[in-house]
Amino acid sequence: MTAMLIRRLLQVPLILLVIYTVTFTLAWLLPGNPLEREGRRPDPAVQDAMKAQYNLDKPVTFYVSYLDQASGLAWLRGDSDKVFNLGPCLQYQDWSTNELIGGALPVSIVLGMVALVFALAIGLASGIVGAVRPGSWMDVATLLVALLGISLPSFVIGTALLIVFAVWLDFVHVAHWGSPRDLLLPALTLSLPFAAYIARLTRLGMLDVLQSDFIRTARAKGVSETRIVLRHALKVAFLPVLSYLGPAAAYVMTGSFVVEKVFNVPGLGQHFVNSVLNKDLFVIMGIVLTYSTMLVLFNLAVDVMYSWVDPRIELA
Amino acid sequence: MGMRTILPILLLVGLLIGAVILDRPQPPADLTFINRGEVHSLDPQRMSWLQDFRIADALYEGLVNYDNDTFEIVPGVAETWSVSPDGLTYTFHLRENAKWSNGDTVTAQDFAYSWRRALFPDTVAGYADLFFKIKGGRAFFDWRAKQLQEFAVQAAGMDETARLRLAQQMLDEAQQRYEETVGVDPVDPRTLVVTLEVPTPYMLDLLAFGPFKPVHRPTVEPYLHLDAASGAFRQHYGWTKPPLLISNGPYVLTVWRYMRDLRMERNPYYWNSAAVKSDSVLCIAVEDANTAVLAYETGTIDWLSDVGVDYRADMLAQKQKYMDRNAVRYQELRDQGKSYNEAMEILARESPPQAGERNDIHAFAAYGTYFYNFNCQQTLNGGEFNPFKDARVRRAFARAVDKQAIVDRVTRMRQPVANVLIPPGSIAGFEGAKGIGYDPAKGRAELAEAGWEDRNGDGYIEDASGKPFPTVEILFPSVAEHKSIAQAIANMWERNLGVTCRLREEETKVQAAHLQEHDFMVSRGNWYGDYGDPTTFLDLDRTGNSNNDRNYSNPVFDELMDRADKELDPEKRMRILEEADAMMVNEEVPILPLYHQVTLYMYDPAKLRNVSTHPRLTQFLWEMEVVK
Repeated sequence: MTAMLIRRLLQVPLILLVIYTVTFTLAWLLPGNPLEREGRRPDPAVQDAMKAQYNLDKPVTFYVSYLDQASGLAWLRGDSDKVFNLGPCLQYQDWSTNELIGGALPVSIVLGMVALVFALAIGLASGIVGAVRPGSWMDVATLLVALLGISLPSFVIGTALLIVFAVWLDFVHVAHWGSPRDLLLPALTLSLPFAAYIARLTRLGMLDVLQSDFIRTARAKGVSETRIVLRHALKVAFLPVLSYLGPAAAYVMTGSFVVEKVFNVPGLGQHFVNSVLNKDLFVIMGIVLTYSTMLVLFNLAVDVMYSWVDPRIELA
Repeated sequence: MGMRTILPILLLVGLLIGAVILDRPQPPADLTFINRGEVHSLDPQRMSWLQDFRIADALYEGLVNYDNDTFEIVPGVAETWSVSPDGLTYTFHLRENAKWSNGDTVTAQDFAYSWRRALFPDTVAGYADLFFKIKGGRAFFDWRAKQLQEFAVQAAGMDETARLRLAQQMLDEAQQRYEETVGVDPVDPRTLVVTLEVPTPYMLDLLAFGPFKPVHRPTVEPYLHLDAASGAFRQHYGWTKPPLLISNGPYVLTVWRYMRDLRMERNPYYWNSAAVKSDSVLCIAVEDANTAVLAYETGTIDWLSDVGVDYRADMLAQKQKYMDRNAVRYQELRDQGKSYNEAMEILARESPPQAGERNDIHAFAAYGTYFYNFNCQQTLNGGEFNPFKDARVRRAFARAVDKQAIVDRVTRMRQPVANVLIPPGSIAGFEGAKGIGYDPAKGRAELAEAGWEDRNGDGYIEDASGKPFPTVEILFPSVAEHKSIAQAIANMWERNLGVTCRLREEETKVQAAHLQEHDFMVSRGNWYGDYGDPTTFLDLDRTGNSNNDRNYSNPVFDELMDRADKELDPEKRMRILEEADAMMVNEEVPILPLYHQVTLYMYDPAKLRNVSTHPRLTQFLWEMEVVK
């Protein structure tokens, strides 16, 4: 197990290097000039000075020096006071990419975790209900909710929730962030598609498990139905959900552009989309690196948890 | 339940509690508003966006200021000033009680230092060219840029220490040269003498503008370092954050979180603090147009400075309904000499809006124009034939656009139709030309004169050899509003002139790059004036101007503009500029103006006071007041 973990951890830098190279190539090939702004254009001499300042005229220099700064190598050599220096922000020049991610990532993580808890609660509950009474009105109802959760775009759900809870009921403030109450609506909106998916996964898994021999044995021994469902069947049916949780966690915790926009949550998703629109090379690369590091680590964590939950699985 | 279940739950709950405790919301402020977008920089020499300048006006004070109702120049840090008879030398006398927010006195050296920053290419100041009005400014900027190129040659093969030594040497030399050649002279801490390259009648207006506001040298200096690679000095971005930022204006910065909020509190050291209406101002960042309107509707903010929602035309219609119902009383109030805001405040009390009406959206003329560019080069970038090099063709296309239909039915915002670039009435003493209006018949006649007629009766125009008019390609950024306008214009040209059009929609940044490279035939453009002089618009048509997207070049026009630059008599100068303006909008038409920009605000007229309605449309946050 430990050897596996070390081997997997050693792969991480390699994966990230590949991602960095691909992102760099794509970002560099993006048409448009990152220093170009709508409105007034500075004197050509000023524009040249801007380009030179950030090595925007030399792709190789840019690639190497950014890698050096962002990977921590420069810090190890003592050339940088920051461990991971993700560079300046070209569009919002008073900020560095580190500051930007440092401010937004915690917000996205908190929101993502709450959304994940919601998704699990809603998804597991409706999945179990559906599996225990297949074909009943409750099953149909949860299926309908799941269908809506998957198919309704979050800007529709989000706006509807805002109108009901903020405008009509005055329960939360619009464009307000900081109190626990502000978390509820965006987390709920963010959780719905995941809840729907988890519900379907759970229902299918449960239906399958409930037919199996060990459940019949448990029933024959007179174990209560609740105990059978929650203790015995769920444990097995949860496995596909668990493997889905890895990427899902990385996804919800790195921010959703739409949900953040509708509820004005100061998270990472908006910054990412804006950075691509602005062709802000440093920010694009900083966020992609952060995001992929999280994704790789979450997947690793899920694999570890897998073998923990189900000792039958041997990790290779 | 074993440890397996409890541990993750405990971890989660702990994290959540931690995050919530760390992330306290802001206490309410006296004035809360949503800016036009996130602030890019709070370094006055490096800013170039309207939302940045709005905050800069609240944080910093220049030598002079303008009254944002009349746009007359009023004293700022300078108590008095005098101008030499030749219009070239300005002497400013600084007030004794002008202080930085840490208690330091604001000195002439502070201004000299800040302007020097702008004139060093190292700073990459977006508005550096405004400083070229100062004697020796342009020459110095170019000299330093060349010196830095020289550095690259000389430093090749050197190790880092040697490079830094060379960079320092060059910087010392540059600073000495600056002192000797550039016309900014802090004679003593309270006297600043500024010498200009050419008499610039609007110099005081410029000095009231953001980039000429001072920075606190001891705060900025530690963030500069020499860069061994380029030999230039570079600036680290840290000093503009609270609590480091030291300012000399009405407010001090207390909070600034990227894409979240920016908070300012009264600067106790500001000499004119009595004029500052609100103790605290909170600016919250809201990206989504809908959410921004909801934030206003639910009382989170007092002022929304830009309404971007799709249904804004419907909101304007509701406002119109309210105004129609109260038309008589409103006119009566205006006749009594009440301003728009005063009249609206009284109306709000006497006659609150009924169902289906609203009185809290306000459309104000802004200092800008929405237009179309004609590429004026001899050939297009790919070497193809360019029909728009001919002024007659440009005029014909201008005459074929029904602008009223565009503002009534496409934008539905009823912007004032524009036949000229400079918004009428926005510049005192300047009487602009009339421009070209909608007249398709005359347009067709002018096309015929240029050799383009429908010769074979197929409904499309051809030249004498029977070759059809090239397909007109219209470049515009990928934004719904711009697309609708482009479609409408293409349709008008096809119908009125007998040409074929093709739409070329591109992502905003890509489109902007193509504009700069003059890689288009016809394109959408937009311009907001920076200062109160016609040159802020007319310069766009000067040969080689960095914003001359059309690549228009006319020696006669350039000569007129040069003459205006040298003219000492402000009256005569305005006449020259009027002549230049008439040449552009009546004859040459490199730019086809469509409408003058309108900015939509939302605020309750009974609650928010002192909103400026002057066509320059600048709001001073420190003058705004929320009546509780």
